[in-house]
Amino acid sequence: MRNEGLPRRIAARVAMLVCAMLLLSVVVFVMARLAPGDPLQAFYGDQLELMTDAELAAARHRLGLDSNIFVQYARWFGSALHGDFGLSFKYKQPVPDVIRPLLGNTLLLGSIAYVLVFMLATQLAVFCALNEDRPVDRIICRVGTAIYYIPGFWLGVVLVLVFSVNLGWLPSSGAYDVGRSGDIADRARHLVLPLAVMVATHLWYYAYMIRNKLLDEIRRDYVLMALSKGCGRAEIVVKHCLRNVAPTIVSIMAISIPHVTGGTVIVESVFNYPGIGNLAVESAKYHDYNLLMVDVLLTGFAVFLGSFIAQTVNEMIDPRMRETGTIKW
Amino acid sequence: MVDVRNEVRKPDERFTLVGAGCRRHVPHIAAPGRFERLRGLPIASGAVLMLIVLACALAPVLSNCDPKAFYYDALNVPPNAEHYFGTDALGRDLFSIMLYGGRASLGIGVLAAAIMAAIGIIYGSVSGTAGDRIDSAMMRLAELLGSIPSLLIVLILTAIFPAKNVFSMSAVIGVTGWLGLARLVRSEVRQIRNTEYVLYARATGGRFLYVMRRHLVPNFLSAVMFVVVSGVSSAIAMESTLSFLGLGLPVNELSWGSILSLANRALITNSWWLIVIPGLFLVVTLLCITDIGNRLRKATDRRCSFL
Repeated sequence: MRNEGLPRRIAARVAMLVCAMLLLSVVVFVMARLAPGDPLQAFYGDQLELMTDAELAAARHRLGLDSNIFVQYARWFGSALHGDFGLSFKYKQPVPDVIRPLLGNTLLLGSIAYVLVFMLATQLAVFCALNEDRPVDRIICRVGTAIYYIPGFWLGVVLVLVFSVNLGWLPSSGAYDVGRSGDIADRARHLVLPLAVMVATHLWYYAYMIRNKLLDEIRRDYVLMALSKGCGRAEIVVKHCLRNVAPTIVSIMAISIPHVTGGTVIVESVFNYPGIGNLAVESAKYHDYNLLMVDVLLTGFAVFLGSFIAQTVNEMIDPRMRETGTIKW
Repeated sequence: MVDVRNEVRKPDERFTLVGAGCRRHVPHIAAPGRFERLRGLPIASGAVLMLIVLACALAPVLSNCDPKAFYYDALNVPPNAEHYFGTDALGRDLFSIMLYGGRASLGIGVLAAAIMAAIGIIYGSVSGTAGDRIDSAMMRLAELLGSIPSLLIVLILTAIFPAKNVFSMSAVIGVTGWLGLARLVRSEVRQIRNTEYVLYARATGGRFLYVMRRHLVPNFLSAVMFVVVSGVSSAIAMESTLSFLGLGLPVNELSWGSILSLANRALITNSWWLIVIPGLFLVVTLLCITDIGNRLRKATDRRCSFL
């Protein structure tokens, strides 16, 4: 790894990414097709009971549900390469058409939450590290743990109960009022509660990790050195320690993507926010496997891409990473 | 007792003895009292958890209403003397639902954590003791599975096996939550496997399961206990989340989650008690279990800070 150029390393990683996606698609496909729930039920609903056996067989054949699983996978994969992911059984539309309008909403919610969580987590961690073992640090630790363990959906429902139903300050559901999808202020109003839940249920987990890393860091010799030269405490933590912890924060950010994405699923369902998380829940309910698969693959892709970016960024921050090639913990 | 001060002073008055009356203070070390031995143990959270568990176990004695009955004369009433926690829109008594439902929720928590622990420990031990290739393949697989949000895996699984009862629910939650545990067990095992006593056991013909039972498990148990205990709370949270999303236990199977699945409807009628009370039970239980789990974690031994 060491002497190879940057393009080759990136190529190797892209190959890994592709392999991981392939493997993931096989796993998800097999799992989805082994399912006993009948996709025809989702496609035809109550009409199913009125259909004859011949009609059922024809429908199965038309939707490609009658051949064996390897043939089905090969066919699915072949058409997926052309961007055809099959029909959503429930919406009777091609899967990309169902997902595309929702993708932006989820990306908006997820990315703002992601940035907010890590900005706040880092600041909170620095604050706690500067006040280690003082009452304020202990209180933050206690309260943070307590809030972290409150189930997200319940927190969301309680917030809706307080701020929408009783106080009427904020809307309780959706991403925008009808016909105002371009209105930024309206969208922001709809994002306040979901973001609050996202931040509350994720913040402490990461803040605590970064705090512990920082606490290990301020016990290094260079801190004593800097202190004896007369640097300020805050300056040392922010300028020296935080820099050394940065690769760890980046890798934590990479592995946090599944966690945050899982959070958006819950939050979107609670607030009935039109996004792919909500869609995943719906498609699981209605056995809409084509949709669910693409949903999971998209999420998996985001995660792999995240770890890919994290590794590259880490190498830029800390050239030592290149030699080991792995994310250090 | 002879007075030391006088005796020493008598022989020679020219010298003054300094500090003769001084006694070094030797602290009296008493055996730790009943209360001191309890210090540091999670008493408060243990007591609250015991209370909740007992209340659920004694549900038939404590509840004054039938949890499955529909009280049509008391639809959606707030907490009062007859229905301590109020009733829901179907006229069911929330107090007895909480008590009976707690059995399902706590049961799922324990059962799912047990499944999780079994899979995680076995997978981690195999991966930790196997050769490098199998080990890295197994860890890659675990990484791959870990890259999908566990909630999505649970969604797929509940779509495949609709959870009808407590057992299928625990199975679904248990088989998705073991990844972190497996990783931890593996790293512990890789440390232990190079020790002499494991080598000896292998050399004298100890089989894998024997070595695992006698040497590996006892050694990593303390490190693993914390994860297992917090697995109980995350399983309870997962059950309620799934039920809330409409993918968990059906509404007629009583659990804390299935009553919270009515929360959206309760929002419309603004019946706060249907949301706040089950949620508080849930949160208090989760916090108590977490607190107990935290005491099991090894205290990190940091040296003095330079700052």
